[in-house]
Amino acid sequence: MIDCRQCRRPRTFLLAVAAILLVLPSQTLAADPPAEKLQLCGTCHGEKGNSTMERTPSLAGQPELFLTNQLILFRERLRKSEAMEPFVKGMPDSEIVALAQHYSKLPAEPTPEPVDAGLAARGAALAKAMHCGSCHLPDLAGREQMPRLAGQRIDYMIDTLIAYREGKRYGVDTSMNGAMYGVSDQDVRALAHFAAGMR
Amino acid sequence: MPSISPAALRGGAAVIATALVAATGIAELQAQQQPPAWKQGQPSSMADSKLAPHASPMTVTPAEKIDVGKLKAPAGFKVELWAHGMPGARMMARGDKGTIFIGTRVIGKVYAVTDKDGKRTSKVVAEGLQQPNGIAIKNGSLYVIAIDKALRFDNIEDSLDAPKPTDISEAIKLPPSTHHNWKFAAVGPDNKLYIAIGSPCNLCEINTGMHGLIRRQNLDGSNIEIVARGVRNSVGFDWHPVTKELWFTDNGRDWAGDAGPEEELNRVANNAVGAFYGFPYCHAQGIPDPDIKKPNPCVGVTLPAATLGPHAAALGMRFYTGNMFPAAYKNTAFIARRGSWNRTKKFGYDVVQAKINGGKATITPFLTGFLDAKTDAFWGRPVDVLQMPDGALLVTDEQNGAIYRISYGGKVAAANTK
Repeated sequence: MIDCRQCRRPRTFLLAVAAILLVLPSQTLAADPPAEKLQLCGTCHGEKGNSTMERTPSLAGQPELFLTNQLILFRERLRKSEAMEPFVKGMPDSEIVALAQHYSKLPAEPTPEPVDAGLAARGAALAKAMHCGSCHLPDLAGREQMPRLAGQRIDYMIDTLIAYREGKRYGVDTSMNGAMYGVSDQDVRALAHFAAGMR
Repeated sequence: MPSISPAALRGGAAVIATALVAATGIAELQAQQQPPAWKQGQPSSMADSKLAPHASPMTVTPAEKIDVGKLKAPAGFKVELWAHGMPGARMMARGDKGTIFIGTRVIGKVYAVTDKDGKRTSKVVAEGLQQPNGIAIKNGSLYVIAIDKALRFDNIEDSLDAPKPTDISEAIKLPPSTHHNWKFAAVGPDNKLYIAIGSPCNLCEINTGMHGLIRRQNLDGSNIEIVARGVRNSVGFDWHPVTKELWFTDNGRDWAGDAGPEEELNRVANNAVGAFYGFPYCHAQGIPDPDIKKPNPCVGVTLPAATLGPHAAALGMRFYTGNMFPAAYKNTAFIARRGSWNRTKKFGYDVVQAKINGGKATITPFLTGFLDAKTDAFWGRPVDVLQMPDGALLVTDEQNGAIYRISYGGKVAAANTK
């Protein structure tokens, strides 16, 4: 904010304006993540954030807040992953936000895994009964702290849903632990196939 | 619940049976499946509602992005940014040597802010905890009450760089549930540790000996007593400076409409320790629950001293005993309202003052400006208040990981401004 009692002299005022103009873009938009960092992420999560690696999630098109939160949960070891730990250790917020912004803007592509139509149909009915769409939105595109599920990898979603059910993973709150309480492995598979097939 | 008889299966109609199994499975799941805790009690008419809790950022908000100039307090008061860079800052406790300790939820940290020559520095004294919201300090020891763990840090203010926790979980005996189980904690004038334990749901029948209560125990964990029952989820309490009675805030249920039931400010009268405050049958100023019904639901219920607004999330509260603010503020309570999510138009996002008159209270606005009513957008969420020795009031803002200092512009405030 410019306090104009402090900028009576026009030159100071202009300098102040110039400084603000210089500073503003870097505040509102995080700097692009360094190329070597993106290459590291891409090794597992896919060059454009669409994973072709087993049990590894796609990041493209995920809500920025969701990605930011998850990277912080990894960094704080509140979400434990041996694979992620070396990359996020001590990572500053600015870099986390830059990565989250980068991947949130990339177009999501559906998983290359085959989607079983029968399981997906059963999963659709389950998802309705379980109110998945009220947080993740009816098209499962996700929003804010709640991830995109549409087109996500089936094997990863099965791992994740079971981890929630077993209390081995928490989100930014405990909603998913409650949502997955008592859901059978078979139903977890059906939900994953349904979400993977959503466009 | 439908089931398939063995005879039907033996009948050989395999295709039909498979279809039946599938359909039955879903119906069964639907019957047993609880929606997420924050959605429980949602009427079918609101099933398509997009209302969901707002997630607080876990990243540092730089000072220049915290527009403290937007905050408004009554004439004569000054609001300034006092400390920042503590993502998720919530409950505060002050050590005898002046350190402000701050609890959090999701980010799992406890911060310590020290003030030297007018410059504040923050450091992390505990991390990797599951929602360490409850913090209390007594005799130089910091008590950190997380969801699944209780820690004690002895001589904490002399060991901020190498804090040594003692795990006291076993002695403190925390309930095993998670939802609404981030705690509020404080040590009372009776030298006992008080902990609020929420109900593990939006709305449900509870085990009244385990959930939905405020309890106290000796600092070594022994002799647990229930001080208040039928409390949905209290995240703030304090003792009246004169009567020494416990006063506490409580959050009303969700999904019963924009009008409420309103949050509550309650009193535990000295002769009514262990009183019942109504959850889940009777809310606010005597509203029977529309979903969990029983005859005469409000009989035997201690009604609130004041209501605190629909879905306002009234959390941290403290009585004011300082000399800096005008005399009318003495022995009144400040209450931080974090602000609503389960309401089509946002409400709260402020600090209010509760003027106490016997067992009743009247509520007036004190600190506003976090919410823009025109655009229905908020930029800050006050969670706790704390009086400083000079009489200034600190307010935490969880959204921006910041603490504001409110002072009164008399000569006392001038002496504190460099």
